[in-house]
Parts: sequence; structure tokens; C-alpha cells
Amino acid sequence: MKNSGQKKKTMTAVMLFSLVGGMVGLSFASVPLYRLFCQVTGFGGTPNTEAVALPSEVSDTVVTVNFDANVNSDLPWAFKPVQRKVKVRLGQESLAHYTAANVSDQPVTGTATFSVTPYKAAPYFSKIACFCFNEQTLLPGQEVDMPVSFYVDPAILDDPGARDVKLITLSYTFHRTDDEETDKSSAKVAKASEVDRNGG
Amino acid sequence: MAYGAAAAHGEHDHHPTGWKRWVYSTNHKDIGTMYIWLSFVAAIIGGAMSWYIRLELAHPGIQYIDDFQFYNVLVTAHGFLMVFFVVMPAMIGGFGNWFVPLMIGAPDMAFPRMNNISFWLLAAALVLLVLSTVVGDGPGTGWTVYPPLSNANYQPGPSVDFGILALHVAGASSILGAVNFIVTIFNMRAPGMTMHRMPLFVWAILVTAFLLLLAVPVLAGALTMLLTDRNFGTTFFAPDGGGDPVLWQHLFWFFGHPEVYIIIIPAFGIISQVISTFSKRPVFGYLGMAYAMVSIGVVGFIVWAHHMYTVGLDADARAYFTAATLIIAVPTGIKIFSWLATMWGGSIEFETPMLCAIGFIWLFVIGGVTGVLLANAGIDFAMHDTYYVVAHFHYVMAIAAIFAMFAGWYYWIGKMSGRQYPDLLSKVQFWVFFIGVNVLFFPQHFLGLAGMPRRIPDYPDAYWGWNYVSSIGALITAVGTFMFFYIVWYTYRSGKPVTADNPWGEGATTLEWVVPSPAPFHTHEELPVIGSGGRPTTQAAPAE
Repeated sequence: MKNSGQKKKTMTAVMLFSLVGGMVGLSFASVPLYRLFCQVTGFGGTPNTEAVALPSEVSDTVVTVNFDANVNSDLPWAFKPVQRKVKVRLGQESLAHYTAANVSDQPVTGTATFSVTPYKAAPYFSKIACFCFNEQTLLPGQEVDMPVSFYVDPAILDDPGARDVKLITLSYTFHRTDDEETDKSSAKVAKASEVDRNGG
Repeated sequence: MAYGAAAAHGEHDHHPTGWKRWVYSTNHKDIGTMYIWLSFVAAIIGGAMSWYIRLELAHPGIQYIDDFQFYNVLVTAHGFLMVFFVVMPAMIGGFGNWFVPLMIGAPDMAFPRMNNISFWLLAAALVLLVLSTVVGDGPGTGWTVYPPLSNANYQPGPSVDFGILALHVAGASSILGAVNFIVTIFNMRAPGMTMHRMPLFVWAILVTAFLLLLAVPVLAGALTMLLTDRNFGTTFFAPDGGGDPVLWQHLFWFFGHPEVYIIIIPAFGIISQVISTFSKRPVFGYLGMAYAMVSIGVVGFIVWAHHMYTVGLDADARAYFTAATLIIAVPTGIKIFSWLATMWGGSIEFETPMLCAIGFIWLFVIGGVTGVLLANAGIDFAMHDTYYVVAHFHYVMAIAAIFAMFAGWYYWIGKMSGRQYPDLLSKVQFWVFFIGVNVLFFPQHFLGLAGMPRRIPDYPDAYWGWNYVSSIGALITAVGTFMFFYIVWYTYRSGKPVTADNPWGEGATTLEWVVPSPAPFHTHEELPVIGSGGRPTTQAAPAE
């Protein structure tokens, strides 16, 4: 009697602890799930980069697209948009340019993450081609032009929650993706110079 | 506590004495007592921090705290201490440990050694948390620990890491405690004590334990991610590595919202017992009360984003979270009206625990009403991070919980210590504290409506008036707090001995009132058999 009671208690405890384990697992699973959710729904400013097909009609409505550039402090690059903003018609394919320069004396590889604000406009912001789809490697002192080709889907006019959007900001943040075997001191010098350039 | 009765027939008890009795304790009553003392210690530290904050805020300009990081550390530590080391230990670890086994007719908790480690983990966590404020610059993140403020750029040094470890250890303690409660309640009820005959306090602890099991691991996961973000270069919450700081907010509030119910549901349980006892009636709508707590617990898991309306959720998500949040008002209303209905027509005795319970209802209703207002995403855009929110959550979960703890302590101290509190002084203490907290927090609604942001050490002159009133309220509250600790000291030293098993008379029908006062070291060694109405049939029931 006493033993079977003990066994029952242990069973209950084991079940409860596996519930705890499951919740810990779920909290870590939330990271990929959240990313997937954002890509599918455009939540949190994730623009559309898949199954991009240019719409046949171009609308007369014009929106302004602002360009923003940021660099993680570990990446010794100067990165800025060539044009601060462009006015585009909905459905019209547009090309914008950024420039990136490696200011260190080592080859460095970086990748850009991107987001669109306001978030509600993100599902309608489609990128056809973008430097951010690939890793970029810059040789010491190399400066390159980085184009992004995009359009804003006229379907935004049919969304009562997003049709008021007249100003969209496209933001990139470059961060380092190669191993950091670079000389630390040169990276620091580069960082200091970046501050001036990206101060705004 | 005083085990005079236990010592008298101590031969068959074999309980350890001296420091071993406490450090090695596997006795649910001793562990409960230690939890309550830990809560007292943390309450003094956390309370002192809040009084220092109010001292600085009494006047515009900088008077006492010129290091703003230190101000942020005070705000952070006050929050952590009060949530994790005052309210949770007292209500769940303290009263839960003491009275769940007594109320269901079990001799002890299911896993007494695990109970011991739960307590000592919490004590270790408290030490870690206090250490976090003295190593480095202290954690100046707020209790919500949002990145990027909490990442290594803005909070360098080991403080935040200490704080994270403290929460990890406290979380482990809570999870072990929760497993213990659930196993005890599911497997160790006395014969005849069916789930639907359990006292509402036991239901409350059961619901709370499940909330802990489901919510705390998510916090642990999120804290681990933050720890590796800070120290090992991961980028879970850093956009410049593909992460998202908003993910932290989702994970934190998925834990954080159930956490506020973890704090207040045990309070519901205590208030139900107290109101039923002093109205001399069984609680109105018992099943509705039990399942209201269950449904509050369930719905509490799907409303978390109402804490983050302003992060850029789209209109549909805000509409959903507004609606889901407002639904919680339904089971909460069931509880409030059932308490009132219990009192209605009852023969009410205004003993101190009853005063505290009525005080609880007042505070909880005010906080609940402002909560219904804040639940609306449109209004929340204006109120977010203002003093209105500070006033709201202090009413609904902070001082309401404190009054439930007062109610529980006054209600049960005779059973726990064998001594009764001084009656007149305790009533004065209730009124001083009640007036104090209302003067303290009610004006903060006005400050919030006027747009004063929270977590700032200075403010424009225009906010001076109500801030000054609020600080005077803090002073009155401090007096009430010290009166309470004086009452605790006085009760243990020279409180009137309680000799009756049941000093509260016919209204007190739960099983803790059939064991002697003070409760001996071992109780319910012979399991009582429970008949209808939750009354034991083999032991003498209290006088009808």
C-alpha cells in the first residue's frame, strides 16, 4: 500500500517535470518559430523576399522610401545609402544603392539583416534582388556599390490597416559573419572612424 | 515557532533541535515558517528601497540619488525582491507549505527533502540578488530586463549576470515547490477529501503551482538566451545578428503575465478562507470560485501582449489582446461578487484578518478597474509606461497581495505560533497601513494621467504636488510596516496563548482548526476521514 502510493507520487512528479522540460524546449523553439512566423506574416517588419512577382499594373499613388544604414561595432566597415530617399509609384520596380567600404587592413565578411517600418507596410514591400541575400566579402580598403531592387505592392491600397502609409523606411544592419581572426587593434581603429560616419 | 506542546510529548517525535532543526528541516511547518521569515527579511530590504525612491521623488530636482544608474538599480531590485522574495515565498512557500497539508489531511508534503532544497535554493537566490546590486554597477534594467538595455553594451560588468542567475535559482526553487504541491494535492488527500471538497486555499495553490510549472521554464529559457547574448556572442535579441529584442518581450511577458496571477491567486485563496470564517458562512458559489481561479489561470496565458501594445503590433493583434484581456474581468468579477455574496446576510465579525480581507477587496477592485481601462490598446498608447500603470499594478497585485498576507498572518498566527496577536494594535496597524497605501498610490493615477513617465528620478515642477502627497503616503505606509513588525515581535514574545484548537468559532471549518494550537510537529498521522461539507467524521468537528 505504502509502496504503491510512493510509486504514484513519483509518477506524478515525473510527469510534471517532463511538463517543465517541455516548456523549456518550447521557449527555445520559439526562436525559429518566431522567425518563421515573421517571414510568413511580415510581422515585426520582415519584408517579402520570396515568390516575388512584379505586378502588371503600376498605380498612380506615390510613396516615399527612406534608406537607413547601421553597422555592428564588430564590423570595420563604413556603410551608407547613396540616396537618403526616393519617391516611387506603387508597383514600380526601383533600384537603390548603398556603398560599403572596408576600412580595416584585413578581408572581412559581413551579412546584412533588414527590416521595414512601419511594420504594417512590410508584407507589401518586396525585394527582387538585394545584396542582403548573400554574404559580402570586402578586401582591405575595398569600396563597393550595393544595389537593392524592390517594389511596393499596390495591394497595400486594399488593406484598410495599411493604406494610409505614405512613408516607408528600409533599414539594414551589417554584422560580421566571418571568424574574428583580424587584428583587434586595427578593428578598433576602424570602429573609431565609423562613429563619425554613422553618427547620424 | 513555539512548539511547547510538541516538546511535552516529544519522545515519539524525534525531531532535530537547534540549527539542525531548521537547516536540515523536512517538516512542512518549519519550512513554511522559514519561508515567512525570508519574506520578512526581503520585505524590509525591498520596502527600504521603495521608501528611498519616494524620498527622492518627494521634490523635483535631485536630492539624494545623484547616480541615476543607482536609481535604476533601486527600482529593479525593489521589483525583483517584492515579486520573487516577498509575495511568492510568503503566500506559496509560507502559508502554502503550512496549510495545504493541514487542510487536505495529509501528514506532510509529498517530497519533504525536495521541500527543503526548494527553500534553500530560494535563500541562495536572495543572496545572489543582493550581491548583484553590490558587484559592478548593479542591474539597472527594471524587473522586465528588456534588451537592448540589459545587453552587454549598456549594462557591462557582472551585475545583470548575477541577477539572471538569481532568477534562475529562484525559478528552480519555484518549480520544485510547485511539483511538490501538485503531487501532494493529487495523491495525498485524506479519505473522503475529494477535489470538490478541498478548501479554496488549496485550489488556489494548485492553480498557482500549475501556472508556475508552465510559466517559469519560459523565463528560464529566455534568461539563458539573454545570458549567452551577454557573454557568448549569441544574438537571440540583437538585430545585428538576426535576432529581435521584441522576442524577449514576448517570452518575458508569456512568463510575466501568469506571474502576476501566481502572486494574486494564492491571495484569492486566503481571502476566501478568511471571509467565509468571519461571515460564519460557507463561501458563496464554491465551484464557481474554484473554476474562476482555474479559468483566470488558463486565460492568463493568452493575454501577454497587452504589456507591449506599443511595440508595433498590428491593429488585429491589438484587438485580439484587448478582447482576451477584458474577458479576464469575468472570472475576476465572479470572485469579487461571490465574496460580497458570502458576506451578504452573514453574521460578520470584524476581526483584524477580516478587516484586511475587506481592505484587499477594496484595493483589488480599484486596481482591477484601472486594469480594465489599461487593457484597451487605444488608451494604453497614452498610458504606457506612465505612473498610471505604476498605480494600477501596485493596487492590483502589490498592496492587494500584501493585505492578503496580513490577513493570512493574522488569521493563522494563533495556529502557527500558539500565540494571538494584540487585537487593538493590529486594528490600528491595519488602518494606518490602509490609509498609507491609498495616499501613496491613489495620487499616482493623477500623475500618470498628466503624463509623468515611470522609472525617472526627477520630474518637471508641475508634477510636484501629487508626488509630495504620494511620498507622505509612503511615510505613513512605513509607519504601518514597522507597526506590523512590532506586532510580530510582540506576538512571539508576549502574545496571549491560544489554547483552543479553533479560536475563531463556528465559521472556521477547515481541517487546520481540528489540530491543536500551536500545531504540533506532526499532524494528521492518523488520516482523518472526510464527510460531506469537508468536515472530518472521525475527529471531533469544531463546535457547530
